[in-house]
Amino acid sequence: MGIPVYLAWLSVVVFIVMVIYRFSKFNSMPLHLRWEIYPLPLEPKHHYGGSYMEELDYVPKPRHHIRINGILDMASEVFLLKKVREYNIYGMWPFSFSMHWGIYLLFVWMILMLAEGVLNLGVIAPVTNVCGIIALIVGTFGSLGLLLKRISNSELANYTVPVDYFNLLFMLSIFATGLISWITTGQYFFDDARAFLAGVVSLQPAAVSSWTVAHFTLFELFLIYMPFSKMLHYIAKYFTIDKVFWDDILNLKGSSIDKKITSQLSGKLTWSAPHIVQGKNWAEQVGIIDGRDIK
Amino acid sequence: MANGRLRIKDISRPGDDPLVFMNMSELMPVPNLGEEPSIEPTPQKFIDKYEMSLDGHCSIGIPKPKTKEEEDHLVRRFLSGLEKLFNSEESWTFQQALRLSFDYCVKCQTCSEACHAYLASGRQEIYRPTYRAEILRRIWKKYFTPEGKLLGRFVGADVDVNWRTVTRLAELGHRCTLCRRCAQRCPMAVDNALIARELRKLFSQELGIAPMEILEKGCVQHLRVGSSTGLNPPGMLDTVAFMEEDIGDRIGKKVKIPIDKKGADILLIHNAGEFLSWPENPEAFAILFEAAGISWTLSSEPVAYDAVNYGLWNDDVELARVAARHTLAAKKLGCKKVMIGECGHATKAYVVIADRVLTGDLSSSEIQRESCLPLLWEIIRSGAIKFDPSRNNFPVTLHDPCNMVRAMGIVKPQRLALKAIAPQFREMTPNSVYNYCCGGGSGYAIIQSFNFPQWRNKAGARMKMHQTLQAFKNELDPNKVPFKYLCAPCSNCKGTIRDAITHYGLWDKYNLNYGGLVELMVNSMVDIDRPFIEYEDFH
Ligand code: SF4
Ligand code: SF4
Repeated sequence: MGIPVYLAWLSVVVFIVMVIYRFSKFNSMPLHLRWEIYPLPLEPKHHYGGSYMEELDYVPKPRHHIRINGILDMASEVFLLKKVREYNIYGMWPFSFSMHWGIYLLFVWMILMLAEGVLNLGVIAPVTNVCGIIALIVGTFGSLGLLLKRISNSELANYTVPVDYFNLLFMLSIFATGLISWITTGQYFFDDARAFLAGVVSLQPAAVSSWTVAHFTLFELFLIYMPFSKMLHYIAKYFTIDKVFWDDILNLKGSSIDKKITSQLSGKLTWSAPHIVQGKNWAEQVGIIDGRDIK
Repeated sequence: MANGRLRIKDISRPGDDPLVFMNMSELMPVPNLGEEPSIEPTPQKFIDKYEMSLDGHCSIGIPKPKTKEEEDHLVRRFLSGLEKLFNSEESWTFQQALRLSFDYCVKCQTCSEACHAYLASGRQEIYRPTYRAEILRRIWKKYFTPEGKLLGRFVGADVDVNWRTVTRLAELGHRCTLCRRCAQRCPMAVDNALIARELRKLFSQELGIAPMEILEKGCVQHLRVGSSTGLNPPGMLDTVAFMEEDIGDRIGKKVKIPIDKKGADILLIHNAGEFLSWPENPEAFAILFEAAGISWTLSSEPVAYDAVNYGLWNDDVELARVAARHTLAAKKLGCKKVMIGECGHATKAYVVIADRVLTGDLSSSEIQRESCLPLLWEIIRSGAIKFDPSRNNFPVTLHDPCNMVRAMGIVKPQRLALKAIAPQFREMTPNSVYNYCCGGGSGYAIIQSFNFPQWRNKAGARMKMHQTLQAFKNELDPNKVPFKYLCAPCSNCKGTIRDAITHYGLWDKYNLNYGGLVELMVNSMVDIDRPFIEYEDFH
């Protein structure tokens, strides 16, 4: 019984370290050329998709971003999966929405249980329990639904590789073991879950039902696995949206962007098409008309 | 769904048989289109010589390898290019954006329904925005990642690279107009257009493989001769003289076109295709700018009299070379600003994409770069010129160039202008940032080789023709409404639209014509006593 308890600590550490590592990896990639896309929520003219480039002499004019619009836009994606709801023709939204809320609520449930134990907040126990049950029900529904959808729809199946099924099965197994545990042990399930977590906090494993142990162990394994998998897309998505799709910042002489780009332009190229001269840096390449004149 | 059973792995299938061939009965139905030319089979002489096994069409014309050595060479170079694509130094330009798009697609296919080509083709699997991206992803996994080498098929590392994979992929990279409508809809912010663009970059920068019109007759000729059209500096001066004469004939007044005028506020650069195909467009600019008292000039410096920048679609090095020369020409003349005429891709390439190529003294704080559309609206708004909208009293609709709306957020100026000068202006649906591509984006407008125009007309431009016919659906009868105008303030879009209207016979059937925004403006100028638009002329 001790392993899941120690694994819990390990999983939290791996999860946090890996998420930070991945975040910093994405963050340290070279500054890219502008590639924004409209409508750009941070833009004051966002409501019709406009930008500062609609104005004459915009370069010296002050420009500003409306951060709150960005936050609201991201929130509508995170919490409502708006684009899937509006544009996905394969009927994935109810399942995807449920699975995502299953995950959010699962985290909330665990945190609430920890808060109850550590901060002596027994009074919120009914809310905690409801949160847990909803998480398990909608999570099971969503992950099972997505799994079946991907298997049964040939257009989706064509693009789904075994690891994608594995990921969904993994999710399903977490939710389903919790759900089974609740169904089979009833009210004791909540006591078990709290006892398990108390055991984790105190490093003194408690005796709980095997379904509950399975549920928590799978969740811990999931925390370890997730940062290595595509399920880390919430971090990647933040970067693509905020740093690529919403990056409309002009390059002005002497700015930090200017300095970064200037240093990136000093990198040498080894592309081997005839019009490029291998071994010359970007700045040198730009001065050449055609690589064939030099070779 | 057509060809539903086409698998990702089929890209490596041996043999000349195309993975798919568009079928008339599966094409997206277009109300009011009437009779249309049928799809011609692939000529055998092409099949014998060139790579045609993707979809029986071809934009590049890659000769089939004749020896095993040639086959291996293609594979080797492709893989080495793919490696460079993911190298931060070699390919910093879009590294972060590409990496994120590459690794985090959840394959929900939400993007598919956004794609005009996929829909118009009758949902052919190979034109799905995710198809080419998924192939590339699986190849990358198989050849370059530890998990792919270790776990193989389990993680999707299951596409083999043989010469067919390479040549088909080169073509498949050219079945997406880079309009980014799919990216706009992706819940993960995955950009399949960028993946297609980077795939093309791999071919251009590593293998020198690209449609002839884009690389050799495009960028290379642009840099060597001065323009992708082949127009050299003396030719440019002749063109200006011709335009001055033509303006006199058209409006009965003399207008001097300033060229190489030192210290002018604005260096105006047109897509040089305008000079050859639609000289009335740069002429209209000259008339408007002179009448509005704007300080401006054209340049006769090589490269700087042609705004196009085809590197935008496939080659960072060529992109940088062209953009730098545009800016250096402006510096030489002492202009404060470079303005791009009615050309979407040239505007985006120069104003947005090149923004982080042009550093220090070439940066935007030193030489400003703008689209022409805000100034055109300002000319109307400020009252600098008097317009009589009743002169444009015919149905007008607007095609938004993707590069100006979705990629730049320039949405209102062209609408405000049309509302002010065209009383029968109506939007097509969808429009503005959610518009559909004309079908000629990313260079397709200029690719006339092999049988590619057939693909462009049937799959590329079909959706735009559908939208246009819908916009005019109550006025199609040429006897009742003798003239309709599809306004497309973009040279490339106009090229595509011209070919599509011709292909579908819409000028003959409905008197449906097309043109830019400035022509409509000059057509309604109070100070000019005759129409500028030639109502009987389709060209
Ligand atoms: S690109 Fe985006 S919308 Fe398309 S399948 Fe991938 S995640 Fe879904
Ligand atoms: S960029 Fe446009 S043409 Fe290309 S796949 Fe996306 S929607 Fe289709």
